[in-house]
Amino acid sequence: MSNFNEADQGTYVVLAPEGKFNLVAAPPIKARIDDLVAAGKARIVVDLQAVDFIDSSGLGALIGGLKTARQQGGDVRIAAAGEQVRAVLKLTNLDRILSPYDTVEEALHDW
Amino acid sequence: MAMPPSTGRREAEAVARTVSAERYDRFVRLAQAIFGAPIAALNLIGNDSQFTVASVGFPKGEMPVEDSVCQVTVQQDHALEVRDLREDERFASIPSVTGPPRVRFYAGTPVRGQSGQNIGALCILDLVPRRLGRQQLEMLSDLGALLERELAVQEEMDLAGQVQQLMLPTSAPDIDGVEIAGRVQPAREAGGDYFDWFVVNDPDGHGKRLQVVLGDVMGKGLAASLIASEVRAVLRGHSRYTDVGDAVSRTWMTTHSDLEANDRFSTLWVGRLDPITGELDYLDAGHGLAIIASQRGYRRLTQDYLPLGMPIEETWVKASDVLADDELLVVVSDGVFDVLDDSFDQVEARLGDILDPGLTCRQIVDRIVDFAVSEAATDDVTALAVRRVASS
Repeated sequence: MSNFNEADQGTYVVLAPEGKFNLVAAPPIKARIDDLVAAGKARIVVDLQAVDFIDSSGLGALIGGLKTARQQGGDVRIAAAGEQVRAVLKLTNLDRILSPYDTVEEALHDW
Repeated sequence: MAMPPSTGRREAEAVARTVSAERYDRFVRLAQAIFGAPIAALNLIGNDSQFTVASVGFPKGEMPVEDSVCQVTVQQDHALEVRDLREDERFASIPSVTGPPRVRFYAGTPVRGQSGQNIGALCILDLVPRRLGRQQLEMLSDLGALLERELAVQEEMDLAGQVQQLMLPTSAPDIDGVEIAGRVQPAREAGGDYFDWFVVNDPDGHGKRLQVVLGDVMGKGLAASLIASEVRAVLRGHSRYTDVGDAVSRTWMTTHSDLEANDRFSTLWVGRLDPITGELDYLDAGHGLAIIASQRGYRRLTQDYLPLGMPIEETWVKASDVLADDELLVVVSDGVFDVLDDSFDQVEARLGDILDPGLTCRQIVDRIVDFAVSEAATDDVTALAVRRVASS
């Protein structure tokens, strides 16, 4: 099994990766998002609380997942991002399309 | 019995110098286990030496080629089996037969390189005479074919890396009044980072400008390097005819469908410098890692644009700054920023290391890249440094 937890909350699904979100960890998350969207579950929150490092491959998985989900009328949102994750999102301006929410609850605000 | 040099032998020497032993150790371990032999090895046959690059029960290293059994195997296109080396006049007097480990039995299958010629052999040795059955000999050949495939993949990757290195500018740009250097250290054989520089005519007709580029395609390895090559070439093409903002917009239009189809994105920082006045136009597409630094401090050259490949259409418009004649323009990739904990406080703390005016741009990029590598960077690492100098 991949090193992330999954919780299906009915109207949305929470994915929670751990540790380094990089070239090794990113493809399984991306594949899971694709499968969830294909199964009609296109509202996904990625809980980044336990992620201490993200690189461009991790960002790529989130952006790729977001594109897939939005095509099906859903979205990928991120919650509880740590300092490094926020710094990288800000650096690349990707926070413009993938805005970080403080908590999973806040990420759900209009769902 | 010295053999004439051949393509295969030259290739064997090149592979022996670059090969990573761990990659092939599992093949020799497998051979040892399957055939119950005390010794198994992958030997590459060069002009004068046999290189044992992977082995169990026998030391890795180099020996004179005339003392090798595998050098006979590489001259045939099928496996060689010798029941008792002592009773074969070709081998009876070689040191590993007459002295320790006193091997008696040999079976080896030739391994071809990219050139199509044999470059070495996968072999097993025993201390007692024996025979492999037909089926076992076939298994040895099958294992050799698998190893051949592994070698081919590795060589292909190394070649891709060389091609990518050759696409980097190596000579000083044909323009007065500027010093520049850049360096890429890919995490694998090839990668998504690159830099570029070239001279363009200013579209307003005011003379020559130096354009510098640092790009970073998401991900690592061969796939990222293919996309990087495309973005590089397209940007080069468009840059000849227009300003940096428009060149990036056109590059986005041209590459967008390929980036989308491959689910990739690319950050890009492009600068265009007039070495005479120091006027610097730039465009930052989600890169964020360009600074102008001097003893007085530093400022970042950033904009709010997304990287190329995002699902949002943008119109890229250049920004401008001036590079004073005592200032240094430095652009790095996130592989460098990651080892600084993605923090500009850390960047500031390290700036003193590269601001010594006695350092050349070459030394500056070496310092940056060597530092990132020594801090165990896991990503591709790239640095580019530019400054103005008195015209010659």
